[in-house]
Amino acid sequence: MSVLARSIGNAFRNKVRTAAVVAVLAVAIGLALAMLVANQAVAGKVSELNASVGTVLTVTPAGGQGFEGGGEPLTADQATTAAGVPNVSSVVGATALRLRNAEAAAAQAGAGGPAGQGGPGGQSAATVTTSLTAAVDAGTLGTRNQAATGTTGSPGAATSFSLPITATGVGAEVDTTGKALELTAGSGLGDYSAASSGALLGTTLAEKNGLGVGSAFTIKDQSFTVAGLFDAGTAFGNNALYLTLPTAQTLAELPGELSTLIVTVDSMDHVESAKTALQAALGTDAADVSQGQRNLETAVSSLSSVKSISFIAFVAALATAGLIILLIMVMLVRERRREIGVLKAIGARNRTIGLQFVLEALVLVALGSAAGAAVASFASGGIASALISSNTTTATGAAGAAGQRGIPGGMAPGGFPGAPGGNPLGGAGQLLTSVTASASPGVIGAGIAAVFGVAIIGALVPALLTARIRPIEVLRGE
Amino acid sequence: MLEVKNLVRTFKSGDRTIKPVNDVSFKLAQGTLASIVGKSGSGKSTLLSLLGALDKPTSGDVLVNGVSLAGMPDSRLTDYRRQGIGFVFQQFNLVPNLSAVDNVMLPMEFAGMRKAARLSRARELLEQVQLDPGKHARRINRLSGGEQQRVAIARAMANSPQLILADEPTGNLDEQTGEHIIELLSSLSRDHNTTILVVTHDRQLANKTDRRFRLQQGRLTEEASPARPAATAPAPAPA
Ligand SMILES: Nc1ncnc2c1ncn2[C@@H]1O[C@H](COP(=O)(O)OP(=O)(O)OP(=O)(O)O)[C@@H](O)[C@H]1O
Ligand SMILES: [Mg+2]
Repeated sequence: MSVLARSIGNAFRNKVRTAAVVAVLAVAIGLALAMLVANQAVAGKVSELNASVGTVLTVTPAGGQGFEGGGEPLTADQATTAAGVPNVSSVVGATALRLRNAEAAAAQAGAGGPAGQGGPGGQSAATVTTSLTAAVDAGTLGTRNQAATGTTGSPGAATSFSLPITATGVGAEVDTTGKALELTAGSGLGDYSAASSGALLGTTLAEKNGLGVGSAFTIKDQSFTVAGLFDAGTAFGNNALYLTLPTAQTLAELPGELSTLIVTVDSMDHVESAKTALQAALGTDAADVSQGQRNLETAVSSLSSVKSISFIAFVAALATAGLIILLIMVMLVRERRREIGVLKAIGARNRTIGLQFVLEALVLVALGSAAGAAVASFASGGIASALISSNTTTATGAAGAAGQRGIPGGMAPGGFPGAPGGNPLGGAGQLLTSVTASASPGVIGAGIAAVFGVAIIGALVPALLTARIRPIEVLRGE
Repeated sequence: MLEVKNLVRTFKSGDRTIKPVNDVSFKLAQGTLASIVGKSGSGKSTLLSLLGALDKPTSGDVLVNGVSLAGMPDSRLTDYRRQGIGFVFQQFNLVPNLSAVDNVMLPMEFAGMRKAARLSRARELLEQVQLDPGKHARRINRLSGGEQQRVAIARAMANSPQLILADEPTGNLDEQTGEHIIELLSSLSRDHNTTILVVTHDRQLANKTDRRFRLQQGRLTEEASPARPAATAPAPAPA
């Protein structure tokens, strides 16, 4: 019988107690791992939010965002200039159109005056007719805005309007926030720098008009085909369609002009400097550079606090595990003082005695960790989604406030490990990938090393202290 | 060769000091089989634990082959306990959750002996102390007192020490088994030149030893041995 065999035997000497110790350790270690997974999930969510929104700058013609009406339109040259600014990773030009169907246009005309340039806060956008019907009816704000669009016409006549449909010509398959369009059906438009009769429709807009992939509709009496459907996550965001840039420019009769440049910066850290550089490069009299989605910072910061809370919980759970094993080992050594005396009396070296108890502690911790990993693979999915879903409300709330530029609601793709209801093996696998593929294997390593370290110290120190006493005193007992 | 010089061990109990070992001196030549008799509480076990380096004397010294235990660091004392002596405790002090064989193998494991060699020697020793082979693999706490005692004797012999200290090794044994153990110990001293010091209440055992000592109120005196004349012994400490 070797030291190791003896240690394993000793670990199971009192089976009930061993089971209890392993169970408590499993809960603590499992909680620690689950918190780590939650931490990584939230971190992933935060960086996704930052990546989708935080790194996008929007360039509009100077004054275009206010009531002033704007100066010169943006051009392809300016897009080239913007692309040359340091840290800018991509520039997508966009031209926006407002689409109205014949009845809505008539109603508006009846309300007084021709359809004018943009609503309050709106950007300059040409208005053209379409066969489509808007999927969103104007609420109080919308009605007021639409009424105000007209002249100071008779207010009584203006009772109900549907919102215009936003058509945006884009130079790449991105939405107006610079985020890749999430297609739910069909395909993209291929070359976005060439004219095309294809269009991408928001899901609700397509539904309202009974259109699917391959269906036809008209804009300005020209026939278009639905190439794909996208889901922007909000009602306003889905009451929109995307065309290729040249197509939109032709429809607006503004060839070469851009209403917006969507500029993506390579990292969050460079956004501020890139914004300044971009503004300087384009000139303050020619263009406004704005950072979209200030609202989202709230969501991001509340997610960040969840992230730090889950990290604290990870450390606390790990510390609990350490404390448990420390107390157990101190207790075990005390209980077996006499045995230590015997071993010492028949010539066991201190290191042999120390090793025996350390191995015993490691057996307990290893069992606790294995059971803890099983606990975590079941619990972490639930914990992570609980932590984030309470926050997704905040995030989508903020996105809703930000209107159609909002982030898509719901869970991020590549979601959270060990979703409840998943099979245990899959859960464990996902736990493993999510924990090991996470950004901080060092944290896991350090955490586990800490628990093992505490276990070693908890076993070694009392065992050696006991071994140092004269054997006869230990053998005689208290 | 074991030499004991003016050994004293005192205990404080309350405001009283007791001296179970009070200025004890004697020498044992290698291969001697010796016995100590004395009343209960006379200090026999205390003396034995001093000789076995389980306890430290209040004063005096023990020399083993001329080497003093007094100045030895803890690690050297451990080596001495492992290689130099075999100790049979009055309370056996076996590891309760290990089997008889495992207990006998422990000192050999500490000495770095290979597993196969350990196992065969442990079995051989258990046979020598007449433990039923069916009980070799049985856990200590499932063995009778006499069986445990014999396992303890086998363990003491494991590393073939030069000195065996046995505290009432036949106390729990029937007459026949007791006699066998006595035979075993005397053959060990005779054939393997092992020095053996036995504490006993058993007159029969004492009478078979080369030298007999009596411990009375901490003082050691030598009695004439029927096995060997007392003249060969050094003068007993003055009373
Ligand atoms: N640690 C101690 N503290 C105080 N007194 C002690 C201690 N150890 C032993 N004694 C006392 O020393 C005396 C001798 O004890 P010891 O165990 O040596 O007796 P013994 O001769 O072995 O007796 P027995 O034949 O009953 O085994 C006893 O009176 C005992 O009470
Ligand atoms: Mg005694």
